[in-house]
Amino acid sequence: MARALWTGSLSFGLVNVPVALLSAVRDVDLHFRQLHEKDKVPVETQRWCSQEGKEVPYEAITRSYELDGGKTVIVTDEDLEAVEPRKTRTIDIEQFVDVADVDPIYFDHPYWLVPAGDDEGARRAYRLLLGVMEQTDHAALGRFVMRAKEYLAIVRARDGALSLTTMRFHDEVRATKDVPNPAGKSTKPTKKELDSAVSLIEALGAEWKPDSYEDEYRKRMQKIVNKKRKRQTIEVPDDADSQPSPVPDLMAALQQSLRDAKKGAKSKAKASA
Amino acid sequence: MALRSIWNGTIAFAGVFVPVKVHSATENRTVHFHEVHQDDGARIEHKRICPKEDKEVPFKEIVKGYEVSEGKYVILEDDELKAAAGAASRLIELDEFVCAADVDPVMFDKTYYLGSQDTGKDAYRLLHDALEKTGRAGLGRWVFHNREYLVGVRAIGGVLGMHTMRFHDELVPAEDLEIPTPSRKPSERELDMAAKLLESLQAKFDPKAFEDTYRERLLKYIEAKAKGKTAELPKFTDADDPDDLMAALEASLAGKD
Repeated sequence: MARALWTGSLSFGLVNVPVALLSAVRDVDLHFRQLHEKDKVPVETQRWCSQEGKEVPYEAITRSYELDGGKTVIVTDEDLEAVEPRKTRTIDIEQFVDVADVDPIYFDHPYWLVPAGDDEGARRAYRLLLGVMEQTDHAALGRFVMRAKEYLAIVRARDGALSLTTMRFHDEVRATKDVPNPAGKSTKPTKKELDSAVSLIEALGAEWKPDSYEDEYRKRMQKIVNKKRKRQTIEVPDDADSQPSPVPDLMAALQQSLRDAKKGAKSKAKASA
Repeated sequence: MALRSIWNGTIAFAGVFVPVKVHSATENRTVHFHEVHQDDGARIEHKRICPKEDKEVPFKEIVKGYEVSEGKYVILEDDELKAAAGAASRLIELDEFVCAADVDPVMFDKTYYLGSQDTGKDAYRLLHDALEKTGRAGLGRWVFHNREYLVGVRAIGGVLGMHTMRFHDELVPAEDLEIPTPSRKPSERELDMAAKLLESLQAKFDPKAFEDTYRERLLKYIEAKAKGKTAELPKFTDADDPDDLMAALEASLAGKD
């Protein structure tokens, strides 16, 4: 099992559930190193002082914050410690909300929570919280501190375990009012148009099965690396950079698509008969 | 204020084309710092050094290599890396529509808003209204910055929104976790009490109820330091933690009344 990124306890009311936090995503991408072309040696990064023009050891580096107007303030480790929200290792549940009310746009990084330690009490408390959240389809909102930063997190039951996802704060999600979009009467679709579009969407409806989508980019990259390794040539596709123009007659396009969809369904039925 | 767009293209569904601009829907507001030299406060520069020659390497002499075995690299040219993205296309074709509520939020990675363009406004509105009415998300592939993404397009707050999606094999399945079963399950009574406690803490989700207090504290502290003062920050207190599950549940509920 993966390494714990954080351990502490999840607390609601006076109940404490000792937990460990694990990442729920894994990096499966192909990673490349920067090499010096001449000798094929991986380049190293050195930190240099822009004023003195020489290398600076890691211990001699601190951070600065740029205020509006360009003035800078040095912020040391001690400064950060002074601001650190609280030293407790707890995820304090503040409230329970209906999962369906939380738009996915607020979800940031996913993690798993597992019971920490061999303690029977920890396991029972974990089962209790999981059980009650499974029954009610509610999620818990709370805050916790990890790597000297405070996070808002949503904890819920998923596939028989407690899942924690860090959340974006409301001021990190942009308002939709600034997005150019055609509201108003002039663009309102007619009932017939909307009905046709809805039937088309339903005709193209599918059950969500995450396993049926593969990362084609990653697969192609792996193929390219394999080919290159065997010194085979790699075909570089042409850019098909044209953009189709919008259809002048929406209704005609929808009706044509509906006819095609029906034909498609019939030929599929024939093929399987 | 107009949002900056990061991509221009067309969404296609069922023979209808919707010209769109892509805008970021989120912005990270974590406080960022610059690295500086402690002695003189000067900015730190990162230099690429060839360890063999012990010399700085100009950017144009750098190539990308994939390590196939220790110290052995396969070098890939820029256009070969580009080939993995597939043909550069300005089209996102939605060919399947799934119930948006069936997609677990962990599948969604980044969110974008799709803005309408000067042409095709009727088509934009039609797609938006139909997605809103059906509660479905259209799935397609998007090539952006030499990489192909799986995307889900749905109606969000009156506009079209687009999520890049994680692939199933990027997620750690629950089966991989070790969740030991307690020898004694929580009792009915404990479950009832916990359900009551949950109910007493129930609220309607309101994102504005949660401010990033850490960011506020940090910025307040930095501003005070800039003026040569020390910021006064509120103190926190720790709660007791009783061991007995039932006693804790009872005490929590009693505290609510």
